[in-house]
Amino acid sequence: MVVQSKNILRRIGFILAILAIITFSLFPFIQMLSTSLKYPADWGNPSLIPERINTSAYKELLAIGQPEPDISAVPESIRNLLEEEDITQEQRDEILARYVDTGDIFPFLTYFRNSLVISLLAAFMSVFLAVFGAYSFSRLQYRGRSLIQRGVLFTYMFGGILLLIPLYKVSVQLGLLASPTGTFLALLIIYMVQTLPVSLYMLGNYFRTIPYSIEEAALIDGLSRLGTIRRIIIPLSMGAIATVFIFSFMIAWNEYMFASVFLKSFKNIYTLPLGLRSLFDSQHLIWDRIMSASMLTAVPVIVMFMFVQKRLVGGLSAGGVKE
Amino acid sequence: MADVAVARPRTPRSPKSLTPQQRDARLGWALILPAITIIGLLVIYPIIYNVYLSFFDVSLMGANTFTGLENHIGVVTDGEFWQAVLTTVIYVIFSVLGTVMLGLGVAIVMNKEFPLRGVVRSIILLPYVAPVIATVFAWQFIFDPVRGIFVHLTVEVLGIVQDRFNLIGNPKTSIIVAVVYSIWKNFPFAYLMILSRLQAIDASLYEAAEIDGAGAWHRFIHITLPELQFIIGSLVLLRVIWNFNKFEEVYLITENVKVLSIYTYLTAFTGSLDLGRGATLAVIQFLILLIFIIYYVKKVLKW
Repeated sequence: MVVQSKNILRRIGFILAILAIITFSLFPFIQMLSTSLKYPADWGNPSLIPERINTSAYKELLAIGQPEPDISAVPESIRNLLEEEDITQEQRDEILARYVDTGDIFPFLTYFRNSLVISLLAAFMSVFLAVFGAYSFSRLQYRGRSLIQRGVLFTYMFGGILLLIPLYKVSVQLGLLASPTGTFLALLIIYMVQTLPVSLYMLGNYFRTIPYSIEEAALIDGLSRLGTIRRIIIPLSMGAIATVFIFSFMIAWNEYMFASVFLKSFKNIYTLPLGLRSLFDSQHLIWDRIMSASMLTAVPVIVMFMFVQKRLVGGLSAGGVKE
Repeated sequence: MADVAVARPRTPRSPKSLTPQQRDARLGWALILPAITIIGLLVIYPIIYNVYLSFFDVSLMGANTFTGLENHIGVVTDGEFWQAVLTTVIYVIFSVLGTVMLGLGVAIVMNKEFPLRGVVRSIILLPYVAPVIATVFAWQFIFDPVRGIFVHLTVEVLGIVQDRFNLIGNPKTSIIVAVVYSIWKNFPFAYLMILSRLQAIDASLYEAAEIDGAGAWHRFIHITLPELQFIIGSLVLLRVIWNFNKFEEVYLITENVKVLSIYTYLTAFTGSLDLGRGATLAVIQFLILLIFIIYYVKKVLKW
């Protein structure tokens, strides 16, 4: 009897521990979802289930069913000008933008697109360079190889702040930050290089697990080294490459510090972290918009993570990670 | 004479005449070179340049003025700098301790089989995977003095505190929020590393101990902990390095906690844009970390 009740107690304790872990991990996400769907009047209500569902914040961010801009503030003469046939739609929008107050509209989709473009490009470039680099130091023998490998690991130690000031100074001097295109390029390259050491390390570790005999057979059959990379190594490592790609994507998608310094002059090329922060700083009491923007920023990353979870977890516990 | 001519090698000097080893070496360098060049230009060079800048009064567009050690002396005689060092040390100690201890606890629980374990594993990883910017506002809402559930629970439901309070807004208590956020964000990483080691422990060790009559606590102290010693040691080192350099995870949740990265950022990029002073701070921050790493690796990890 005593043994049995002790076991039951232990079982209950175990279940409670699991529930506590789940609650702690998930609670902020539930809070986020709940607040994003509440009307302002319900924000103070501690219940997590909204009494009435308010989807207007999501609609506004995703520009679904938004009313036409109010042109009553536009002077008569300008309105006549807009009627003219020989101006393009682009010019029309530009003129209109000067008179219609758009300060209240949060260009979430623009920021989303900016983040998507820069993260995809940075991840693609990083993975492309890393495939060849990782093949080099995991498969080929040459002097200086282990030095390179250790050097790559060494870059783990440097915090972003150590690179921020010199890179900013150099970019300004090169004139890159004078135009939106240059600024975007500078940030893109910085993101690529931030993810490159991790990509090299993770892919290198993976390539070592591919039996050399497969490659050797192909080499004997007359395939060149580059040919084996293209026909054997890459197809066999698609899973690992996808993982590294997503990992690099996430680093760029999440980055705030460099973006805040580099992009500050050009609101049009703000990335999501910067956009969300400016939304939070500019207006108060807009929790529904902040929370729905948070949800929409988190979802792509979480979905991607679900796809490669198993492998990413393996990579993380093997040390393939940089913060 | 004819014999000599035949014996002379015919093939001209070309890459084909290299031995396979030499060809591999060439290819090896060719393949790694783009990556190395970029890392050299955008990581190694900036770090050296950063050290150089620390000796100057840096002008963004024009020429820099050499000031010798003026920046360095300015930093170490500044009370605000030492305040930032203290804040960083407190932040790092508590966030790393909390992260590792929670990670250990969760790993031990998750090491047992139970239904839906796979789903729970995915859920645990969400805090680590989700972007910082997408999770800070939820935490700010939780601690909001007017609407937050934390204040609601402590004041109205449990009645521990009499009046509503602003945990984030108060510079004295905001570090608590920063530490809690850091633990929440990073415990999944600690849990993963510890769990992967836990699963590798030989089950026969536990069986033998059980036969000898050792209780659960005894087994934990004498088998589990020694087996985990190395992984926890490395985990602490990694987390100290990362948390010491953290910017976003602190800055975005509260600007009241001025750890070194934030102090440097604010010095360099707000107000009079003191880039030289900022560069000096970044160098000193790195040196502090380096001294810690060397001490830790030698004395604690005993490598």
